[in-house]
Amino acid sequence: MNPDRYQHISDNTLLEKFYADKDNHWLGILLQRYTMLLLGVCMKYLKNEDDAKDSVQQVFLKAIAELHKYKVAYFKSWIYMVAKNHCLMKLRDRQGKAPSVLNEQTMMMEEEVLPVQAHLEKDRILDAMSAAIEELNKEQKQCVTLFYLDKKSYTQIAEITGYSMMQVKSYIQNGKRNLKIVVERLIKQP
Amino acid sequence: MNNNLLNILSNSSKDIDNQQLMDYLAGKLSEEEKHQVELQLVNNDFMNDAVEGLDGVKDKKDINLFVEQLNRDLHKKLLQKKHKKKKRKMLQQRWVYAAVILILAIIIATWLMIVKYQGLKP
Repeated sequence: MNPDRYQHISDNTLLEKFYADKDNHWLGILLQRYTMLLLGVCMKYLKNEDDAKDSVQQVFLKAIAELHKYKVAYFKSWIYMVAKNHCLMKLRDRQGKAPSVLNEQTMMMEEEVLPVQAHLEKDRILDAMSAAIEELNKEQKQCVTLFYLDKKSYTQIAEITGYSMMQVKSYIQNGKRNLKIVVERLIKQP
Repeated sequence: MNNNLLNILSNSSKDIDNQQLMDYLAGKLSEEEKHQVELQLVNNDFMNDAVEGLDGVKDKKDINLFVEQLNRDLHKKLLQKKHKKKKRKMLQQRWVYAAVILILAIIIATWLMIVKYQGLKP
């Protein structure tokens, strides 16, 4: 199976082809696109190369079985959810804890674009953004500014600030999330 | 500057191909290219989790080997499923043929009996 041959075909088209003739060949091409990412996700949660490889195989089998049963609208979010849930269940078996299981709806919400952005004037959003940045804590403000405005990489930011790479990532992600919350609050104000 | 500010609110994410991801993990990209990859990572939880996980693989050269191995296994499993499906279909077809032959045999036998019965009538 040479994936390059099908590079021009989108995930949705491959899924449509599969639903039309139920030929697993299309699923093979689609799943192969995500092998590396799935391996990474499983490695992140399970922290063991053999467990991760084993889990990717099980995620493939689950995906093949489930896709025969019902239609999936957003394959990428769906396969990520399947892999994450599989790892969380595996961790639960290991630790005897019950982690929260994700569903497709929560995954889609995470990827949703800020709804207000499309409807409000650019200037108003920009004003809100400038004010919102000032409300971030020192670390988040510093990392968000260096990343988005000065276009520095994580490594460069870590060098400039003295924070670890993990801290930099966390400050950027949390900073971005907080910015959205503050901007939404500011533009809702009369 | 203004557009950069607006980019913070944007959640658009382009897909990063496997090679670019490997180059990123191997530290082969320039700072500018790294920043471009990281912009996608911030917007894409799937990609971000994957990068964090792949970063934990001891020997990065193994990643491609693991991926190839997993793809080979996937291909093998899909072929096995295809063969099983074909076999099941053939078995179903055999039953259809057997049923058709049986029905034809019953019709012929009934017809022969009718002919014989009518021949016996005075």
